[in-house]
Order: sequence, then C-alpha cells, then structure tokens
Amino acid sequence: MAALLFGLAAAALLAHHTVSVAALAVLLLVVCLRAPVSRRWPYLVGAVGSAAALFVLTPFVERLPGTVFWSGPTIPVVGTLDVTSTELSGALFNACRLAAVSLAFSAYALWLDHDRLVQAAGFARRSVLAVALATRLVPALERDAAGLVEALRGRGVEPEGLRGRARLLSPLLAGSLERSLNLAEAMEARGFGRPGATRLPQPRWGLREPLALAGAALAVVVGALWL
Amino acid sequence: MAVGRAENLSFAYPGSTALALRDVSAGLAPGQVTLVLGRSGSGKSTLLRAFAGLVPHFHGGRFSGRVEVAGLDTRRHGPARLAGIVATLFQDPEDQVVFTRVLNEVAFGLENLGTPPQKIEARATDALASVGAEHLAGRLVTELSGGELQRVCLAATLALEPQLLLLDEPMSQLDPEAAEALVELALRLARDRGTAVLLSEQRPALPLEVCDRVLFLEDGRLMFDGPVRRAGTWLEQHHPLFLSAGGWAGVHRPNLGEATCRLDEVSFAYEDNLLVLDNASIELRRGEIVALIGPNGSGKTTLAKLAAGLLEPLSGRVERSGRATYLSQDPGRYVLRERADEEVAIGVGGDLAAASRTLAAVGLAGDEDRHPRDLSSGERERLALAAVLAPEPDLLVLDEPTRGVDPERKHELAALLRANTARATLVVTHDRVFAKTVADRVVSLAPDRELVHA
Repeated sequence: MAALLFGLAAAALLAHHTVSVAALAVLLLVVCLRAPVSRRWPYLVGAVGSAAALFVLTPFVERLPGTVFWSGPTIPVVGTLDVTSTELSGALFNACRLAAVSLAFSAYALWLDHDRLVQAAGFARRSVLAVALATRLVPALERDAAGLVEALRGRGVEPEGLRGRARLLSPLLAGSLERSLNLAEAMEARGFGRPGATRLPQPRWGLREPLALAGAALAVVVGALWL
Repeated sequence: MAVGRAENLSFAYPGSTALALRDVSAGLAPGQVTLVLGRSGSGKSTLLRAFAGLVPHFHGGRFSGRVEVAGLDTRRHGPARLAGIVATLFQDPEDQVVFTRVLNEVAFGLENLGTPPQKIEARATDALASVGAEHLAGRLVTELSGGELQRVCLAATLALEPQLLLLDEPMSQLDPEAAEALVELALRLARDRGTAVLLSEQRPALPLEVCDRVLFLEDGRLMFDGPVRRAGTWLEQHHPLFLSAGGWAGVHRPNLGEATCRLDEVSFAYEDNLLVLDNASIELRRGEIVALIGPNGSGKTTLAKLAAGLLEPLSGRVERSGRATYLSQDPGRYVLRERADEEVAIGVGGDLAAASRTLAAVGLAGDEDRHPRDLSSGERERLALAAVLAPEPDLLVLDEPTRGVDPERKHELAALLRANTARATLVVTHDRVFAKTVADRVVSLAPDRELVHA
C-alpha cells in the first residue's frame, strides 16, 4: 500500500498535464476523506492549504509572458507585479502537484499500519522508523494543541482569531522537542542502536502486496509516459 | 553481591551549578525491593537514571564517583549496552511509546537485544500476561487509557527479564487497585526471579508495606539507607507526612452557601458513542471541597470537565453560577508565556500584581521572571495551580493535582485549598490519602458509572 501511494505521488510529479495531476489529487483526496473527520482534518487543511497558498503566490514571483490579467505596482528588486495566463496555468499545475504529493502522504499517515512498514523494511530500518515516528508528529501536535486550548479555556480564556492561535505555535514546537527528547531517552534505555538487532517475524505476503507493488510501478511508468 | 552499586556518586546536569546528586553511595541486592523516597527535585529520578547509564551518557553533565551494574562500569558502558540487564519504566508512559500496536511496542526492546525472532512474540505475550494485559496485544496504543498504557510500558520492561528493574513513580496514573497489583508484581519479580527492584514513589503508603529497604534523598544527599523496619522510625522523626494515612490539613469549617454547580442526570459519550457517564448527578456548594475518586476509565475527568464547562452533556442539565476554572492533569500545558507571572496573569487579564500574589501563595515567590519550562516538575505543578487560582473562581476543578507531588507538598496544597471557604472545589484524585486530607466529602464513580456519595 505504501508503495502504491509512493507510485501515485511519483506519477503526479512525472505527469505533464494539469488535468492528469488534478485527477490524481482528487483520487487521493477521496481516499483521505474516507478517514474519520477528527483524524483527517489537520492533514487536509495542511495539504489543501499549502496547495492553495502555492497557487496564489506563484504568479507574483514568476515572470512569464502571456495575456496579462492584472498589472500591479513596481517593487524594487522584484520588479513589476503582474498576473499572466501562463503564470496562472503554471501555478495551477504546481498546486495540483503539491496537493497530490501532500495527499499521498496524508493517506499514508491516515491509513497505513506504520508498525508493519517498519517491520517489513529490509534495509535502513532506522530511517524507516524515523519516518514512522515523524508521521506521528501531526496527530501528536494536534493533541497537544487541543490540550493547550483546553488549559486556556479552563482559565476562562478563549483563544480568538489567527493571532490568538498563532501564539500557541511556539509552545507547541517546544513541547514536541521536549517529547522527542524523552522518547529518545526511552529508546536508548531499551537498547535502540545496539548492534545485532532482530525483528518480530512478519506475516507472509498475500496477493495484495505484489499487486500493490505492480500497481506502483505501473503508476510511475504511466505517469512518466502518458499522463 | 549487589546487582547495582553507586559509590560516592555526584552529578550536576549541564548548565546547572547545583548538584542533583551529592556523594551518594548505595547498593541494590538481588531479590530486594528498594523504595527511594524524597521531596520533588531531591534527585530520585536522577539516581534511577544513573543506574540505567542515562546519566551521564544521555544527559551529559558533571559526573563523579562510580556506578556499577552487574559488574559493568556505567561510565564505560552506555544505556544501550546496559539494556536488558537494566530496564526502566519512566514517569510518563506517553513519552516512551515507539510503535502504534501494543505487541510491537512490547517486542521493541527484545528486537534491540537480538532475541531470536521465533521467541520474540512468546516473550512479549508472556510479559503482557504478567501484567494482566494480554487482551491488549492487538490494540492501538492510542486507544488505551493512561492506566492501560502504563501496564503496557511495564510489560515492555518486564519482557527484557532484567536483573535490575527501575520504576520511576509508576503508580502516578494508576487507581489504588492497579497500583496494588503493580506493587505485588514488583514483589513477585523480586522473590521469584531474584530481580533487584528500585522503585521511586510519591504515594509511599503501599510500597512501604512490602519493600525491603528504603532510601531517602534530600537535595541530592542520601539521608537514610536502611531496612524498612527502621525506616518507619526515621520517617516519623524527620518526615512524618511520608507515613501519614491522611488527616485534615488545617481548620476548615464548611459554611455551605448556594450551589455553584449542579449536574442533573448528566450523560456523556465521546465520538465512539460509548457512554462515559450515564445519568450522573452531583451538586457542589460554595464552601465545600469534594473529592471525586474511582478506577481508571470510570469517567472522572469527563465529569470534571462537564462541571467546569469544557464539555457539553449529551443529555441532562448542567447549571453553573459564577466563574469556573479547571486544572488539567498535565502541567506542561501551562507554558504559553516566557515568564511565570505572565503565564499566571493570562487568566486575570494580564494583572501581574495579582499573578505575583498567587505565585507567592503556592510557594513560587521570587520565581516570577523564570521561564515556565525552566521550572522543575514540582514547580510546574504549582505554576499550573497558580494559573487556575489567580482568577479567584467560584468553582475550582482540579484534575489529579497531586501527580508527582511529594507528601509534604501535598499537605501544603491541602492546607492552601482548605484555607478558602468562599468557593466550591472539586478534586479528582487517585490519591486516597490526599482525598482524606483535603475533602469534606468524597464521591466515588463506580466502574458501572454510578456516583456513590459518602
């Protein structure tokens, strides 16, 4: 399943047509929307929000010819701000690409059994474990943020507006650093990093696994050649 | 021969001039349960970390003296090498979980030690069974209650079959029954397998009944090291509150006023639609302190949040008059500002003078300009308490306010709460001694979610 999602993300990066990339993004969005609302929203906000931001900002930083839709002031160093048809279509293409890759990661985070992925890693197991732990960062941050808001409300204070919520960012990051240090300490105390580690035997591959691998390879080839 | 031995051990954390441990010498014999006591910040956790090799290898700092575990000098052999000989259960189970499934979590240490693959699952399952958690093997760790997670983490340490087991306040999130089971398990390990157990605890009544030996630390110095029968006499002379079975802290004549909060046949369910509370009713009157007790997962925190207005009931009615404040179980949630006084002032519209007064009331006078993250765990607890006391609420709801708090500080906290007769206070706690010390009335949430008033 991880390979299939990787294949779809790679296809989105290799494809040449906006419609193809958008179709992949929609497919991955549908997969993410099947997850419970309480779990999926931070991922969807992150994926769709970053893609939207990219779409809005790209025309202002790119300078491509085409039909000019809007012409703005001239800014030192940057030059004249304008929005052209080529810039808009390029922005849409890149935004769809970013959305597809982010949604593939979201689907991985929401649906996959990360333990199985770590256990199945034939090599670079430490790196795979690091990725699995990093994937847990989003729900952990979400829980921490909810805890901070609850503690504020417990004092009769409602965090209001963007500024009120933005003030939670710094303590959230500091908290996640503290948590990661505690986890690193606990892992070391349990022998992590010692040579000669073994692993819990994993169930044998069924029909789904080779099919998913073949699907991933097919997605990459189709993405590179025909999409 | 001792499994673990510290000789003239002194240690200071990086960037700190104060010594966390000062010239400590102690041995840990096989088959013996040793209880280490002391006030918050006295060096108990540091001593446990020294026996695990985490001090100095993980933390750095200045280290002098010598610590040996099973004949290995911890300065030359780091924690990963000592793993398996030593196993540590840390204070906060949420911060030590690596995997998402229980069985994989318990298997993690065995994998690191190079256990033959065909034996890993059986040993992990046996360890889960030994803590009564074999039914959790296939569950996600995120679905477990705090008490269940604590048992899974304990199983992960037991699976390693260590010669030395270090338990750092393992009962802090457990109800009395689960705590009793844990202490019995530690005793069984010591007697049957010859494991040396070093246990640090802030609810000492139960472990004092079964341990063989007691260490008492004060400002990093070992003030007492002896058999438990002598420890009773010593504690009675020097720190009697560590032996206290609970008694009222100071005069408190509840002059019951009007109800500040009334829950009438309230039911509540989270997203999974399972009822956490079913037709619960309780009234909190101005002037009284009510302790809410009950087993892990019985819905105490949910009831407390409903009372404080942080949750809305599924059915039934909640009436509240005046302002309510709620103290979360996790003091790490009170670190939003750069200074302690600014943190406390959040609830009083930025009034720094009021914040300073409240900080002084909880014993943090002079700490106004310190960053909340620089405070010790005990000091953070007090900062959090100050943050909810500062608004002078009509209803004060405290959720497990004594987690990690030493018996002497608990007594001071009880006296502070009892000094106020103008508000209603609801205290959620597993700590029966504290409940007896602080409360005018105890309400128990039974496993069947029924409220029993006593």
